[in-house]
Amino acid sequence: MKIDRRCFLSLGIGGAAGIALSPLPWKLADDSAIWTQMWPWTPVPADGEVTYVKSACTLCPGGCGISVRKVGNRAVKIEGIEGHPVNDGGICPLGLSGLQLLYGPTRVKSPLKRTGERGEGKWEKISWEEAITEVSKKLGDLRGKGESDSVACISGSDKGTVPALFKRFMSVFGSPNFMRMPSIQDSYEIANNVSMGFIAQSGFDLEKADFVLSFGSGLIEGWGSPVRMIRANSSWRKAGVKVVQVEPRLSNTAAKSDKWIPVNPGTEYALALGLAHVIIRESLYRKDFVQAGALGFIRFRDLILSSYSPESVEKITGVKKETIESLAADFAKSERPIAICGRGQGKAQSSLGELLAVQALNALAGNIGREGGVFAVNDPAYIAWPAYQADETAAAGIKKERIDGAGSVKYGFAKSLTNRFAGAVNSGAPVSLLFVLESNPLYSLPDTKAVKDAFKKIPFIVSFSSFMDDTALNSDIILPNHVYLERYEDVPATAGLSKPVVSLARPVVSPQFNTKHAGDVIILIAKEMGSPVADAFPWDDYQACLEGTAGDKWKILNEEGFSSDPAFTAQVVNTFPGKFDISGGIPDFTILFASVSHEGDPKAYPLFLMPYDSFRIASGYIGDPPFVIKTVEDTVLKGKDILVEINPATAKANGLSAGSYATLKTPKGSARVKINLFEGIMPGLVAMPRGLGHTAYDNYLAGKGINVNELIGTVEDPASGLDAAWGIRANLIKA
Amino acid sequence: MKEEQNHEKAKRFGMVIDLDKCTGCGACMVACMSENNVPFKEDESKKLDSITWLRVYKLTNGKPFPDAEICYLPRPCQHCGGKGDHGHSPCVSVCPATATDYSNDTGIVSQIYTRCFGCRYCMAACPYHARYFNWWDPVWPDGMEKYLSPNVSVRMRGIVEKCSFCFHRYQIAMEKAHYEGRGELEENEYQTACTQACPANAITFGDLNNPGHAVHELKKDKNAFRLLERLQTNTKVYYISSREWVRRAGDNYLEKEKK
Amino acid sequence: MSKPDDKTTGISADTDSTEAEVSSAGGIAKGQGDEVGGFVILFFIIGFVASLIIGWVVFPKLLYSQKTQPIDFNHALHLEAVSDGCESCHIFRDDGTFAGVPGNAQCSDCHQEVQGDSPEEKKFVEEYVAKEREVPWLIYSKQPDCVFFSHAAHVKKAKMECVTCHGPIGESTSLKVYEENRLTGYSRDIWGKNIAGVKRETWDRMKMDDCAECHEKAAGKKSSVQTDKEACFVCHK
Repeated sequence: MKIDRRCFLSLGIGGAAGIALSPLPWKLADDSAIWTQMWPWTPVPADGEVTYVKSACTLCPGGCGISVRKVGNRAVKIEGIEGHPVNDGGICPLGLSGLQLLYGPTRVKSPLKRTGERGEGKWEKISWEEAITEVSKKLGDLRGKGESDSVACISGSDKGTVPALFKRFMSVFGSPNFMRMPSIQDSYEIANNVSMGFIAQSGFDLEKADFVLSFGSGLIEGWGSPVRMIRANSSWRKAGVKVVQVEPRLSNTAAKSDKWIPVNPGTEYALALGLAHVIIRESLYRKDFVQAGALGFIRFRDLILSSYSPESVEKITGVKKETIESLAADFAKSERPIAICGRGQGKAQSSLGELLAVQALNALAGNIGREGGVFAVNDPAYIAWPAYQADETAAAGIKKERIDGAGSVKYGFAKSLTNRFAGAVNSGAPVSLLFVLESNPLYSLPDTKAVKDAFKKIPFIVSFSSFMDDTALNSDIILPNHVYLERYEDVPATAGLSKPVVSLARPVVSPQFNTKHAGDVIILIAKEMGSPVADAFPWDDYQACLEGTAGDKWKILNEEGFSSDPAFTAQVVNTFPGKFDISGGIPDFTILFASVSHEGDPKAYPLFLMPYDSFRIASGYIGDPPFVIKTVEDTVLKGKDILVEINPATAKANGLSAGSYATLKTPKGSARVKINLFEGIMPGLVAMPRGLGHTAYDNYLAGKGINVNELIGTVEDPASGLDAAWGIRANLIKA
Repeated sequence: MKEEQNHEKAKRFGMVIDLDKCTGCGACMVACMSENNVPFKEDESKKLDSITWLRVYKLTNGKPFPDAEICYLPRPCQHCGGKGDHGHSPCVSVCPATATDYSNDTGIVSQIYTRCFGCRYCMAACPYHARYFNWWDPVWPDGMEKYLSPNVSVRMRGIVEKCSFCFHRYQIAMEKAHYEGRGELEENEYQTACTQACPANAITFGDLNNPGHAVHELKKDKNAFRLLERLQTNTKVYYISSREWVRRAGDNYLEKEKK
Repeated sequence: MSKPDDKTTGISADTDSTEAEVSSAGGIAKGQGDEVGGFVILFFIIGFVASLIIGWVVFPKLLYSQKTQPIDFNHALHLEAVSDGCESCHIFRDDGTFAGVPGNAQCSDCHQEVQGDSPEEKKFVEEYVAKEREVPWLIYSKQPDCVFFSHAAHVKKAKMECVTCHGPIGESTSLKVYEENRLTGYSRDIWGKNIAGVKRETWDRMKMDDCAECHEKAAGKKSSVQTDKEACFVCHK
């Protein structure tokens, strides 16, 4: 009797046979196959009922209507609203990526108080009560010391009820310093004030125009209301409307235009004057419009005819005089020609002279205040709140001169000159507390170093940002706002529209984190401060304020998502012939129409650096979300390296080749860049995109490329205080 | 070989993209990513491994300043029907896993992620670089997976993915039609995400076989062309450009060859 | 496998086979060999039987984890009370999608307050309706994420009965235990209760082949170039 190895062998064989005759191997094989096809760690999005919520996008001033698809209580996709007067179903890359901001890692999840050094990123979570008490106490102390005017607020926009609440707070608190981020809107407002005598924005009836002459405006790259502009461009293509683009670089707008006229940078104003010269010389202008009683026109005419002949303009601009002659004739002979300016997306200001020269073309064509032309558009009219009682402190405070100088004797035409803010603070203007609302000034203002220095001088910075952006990172306390998809807010779309629209942003999902509506926070701060500041805020909360403000339009806003009733939104001002004065009573034209001087020695800096705007790089308050940064071409961003565009001739002259590294030097700083050769850029120029080089945000954006604002500065336009810089002298040295 | 289905009723969904209208804004790319749960990673500047079902290419005419020109060309999957439209598109022909398939009902080239085992033959076969391989598992930052849509399966590492002409939208539209007792869809009921988003209205989508659909006429435009037509891939994406150099860029020509 | 051919004999089995022959022929002397032969068969049988038990009985128990539903729902009772059969509660939404298991909003029409004396109902009202929590039902027929299944296409267009795929669940008075495949996470109903995959009724299994079988017979479409069946994108997403 022995159990030997054969028995065990037999056991094994029996076992194998048994297993083979059981379902185990076959079932296991099937299950393993399924397991490898669907790893348990691959997310499976939950299904549920699909609903759509109509809202409005606030990521840029465009004011598009959006329809957000939800599955259960999750928002899964943002689409454009069909039939919306601004975007009619279309939507831009940034608008499409809104959910990455809503659910993204850069959200500030609760009120935060700084514990480490500024910018170090060390924070302590605090409660909303603590946060509001702390800010109110600081404000109360300043007011008690009679320093109420040392409080300032920088807002991304000055339209709509939330900025209006902040403005109201500043006024009743006793500070004139409500500022909005600089843009071409500042320039248009001043130009309208000069030529028509009142502050208004310009609206363009572009869909009905039959000739579009753009001085560097990125018509299809984010200028004005971006989706509406692209829609207009498509309608021009269909109708055969001629588009002429004047700019030194073959932008997408230039590439899509019927004619691209490369012009020496910063000389757009001269080309406009040269065109005016031909139009006046050939008597192609609408006399009743410009001449009726306008002394300014005669002065303008004399200057133009004597100094801006096509020959002399050719020398300034580099545009051939034949081109000037024929372009002027084409423009003037069109029925409804429109001339537009505001470089790129209009994120930067332009000089008053450039604005007036371009507006003069519209005036000469008689295309102001009529269909297919340019309109003066007032601010939205629906915000009419009861007057409040200002005490002595408030009355004295708001009479003080603004930090940025707007409205002072020297800068009388201006409403807001935030471009001058950093310079003023650095030269001693006292700012003890700064509110930052829906803007990222530390990143977006030119001359980053000066802005940083200015911020260092401000003892207390309060950020209302929803995101840990560059400014929030460098603030002392963050009172995070709801993201637009979590809040109610009126969204007035005014950017370049001839028929303004007010849309309603609505909560698509409930707040994801411990955030609070900025409108509610400012009301709470006001209430905490007590009379008289609190008395100016009779509303229980922001919701009550908004509903009250919208009045009988609230129902329509809620049902349709927007209102385009002119009585509600904004009045288009009737500009009668003869009311338009090109000279605006400015005594000395020579400061108006002069080339912008540039910082730096031409020998040390033989090239020019110009920032450019790209539709795929958001450069405003919002940085690029992951989806959008993904669309950026590898000729713009490669790894963490930024590529600058130069003409192959420039490359050859500087010993550079495609893909090589170089040091880009300007009087403001230097940066390591890579070279991208581009035949569409004038020799001698270096083009760098706006919107990269963030120090904050997530790993998808932070540390990629260079912030062009670190390399450029501001050049003050002596006639208006506007920033007239279009770029800066630069040099490229092979690295 | 498989001609049983009624050819009159068979659909051939396709696109006509007007390059004169396209501004290169990139909205179509993002609309596609957002609709189809396309993943992203920290560095997307290596374009060969950057998954973009629809990619907008920048074309240049190669001339020096100031005669340089740019044209943008959005490239979704071309949904090749192959020679004679029998569905022998380059990728379908080589797939050893039955993961990619051609439907004679819709003319859509499908990709079934759970069947794909990642051999990437199809990528080699595709002349349009329309297919992308998942080299990594998709990762969404904490909380961001909340926006993922249940209509499109999330893909895992090791498989190939590509544009489906938003086929799930067809499924959803058909489901509604079935519920309402209809057998056919209206033209606007099934539109791709890129078509819907395009701010320029440059993309038109519909059934190329249906005379009632806009694409039926648009594809006959005198400036219409398809990409690499000489390969006889018989694609369903047509482009329109008034510029000769752009149309010529749509295929490969010998240096001195006349079209 | 069973035929002893030249190769197998040549390599290993010659001692075994000679011994077996001898012992069966005479029964003399080589008792050891005889007993070993018996053991060999015995061990074979032990191995065989044990592995059969493992394969048929133990394996399924290990493969599936058992979960009880949060509430023991009585389908039969509810079916009596409603007028429109299954669709009274398992509704289609206006967009044609199928809502699946009803949510609290539907149930609380009747069950805002406790109606009867069932402890399960009491639990439902107190734990879920009152606390506004949805019941985390376990779905027996849940298909994997790669599947797009249109109820409208099957129920509305093809006029199929619910029973065809889901079985007579409407007649049940309590919910069966939910079994989840530990490897795949699938419900056991997809493969079917029978571990061998034997299918007697149409609702016994819900795998792709079962879908395909019917699609081939009923729809008869051959739109797929690859498979000569219906195209993949009809049911996959």
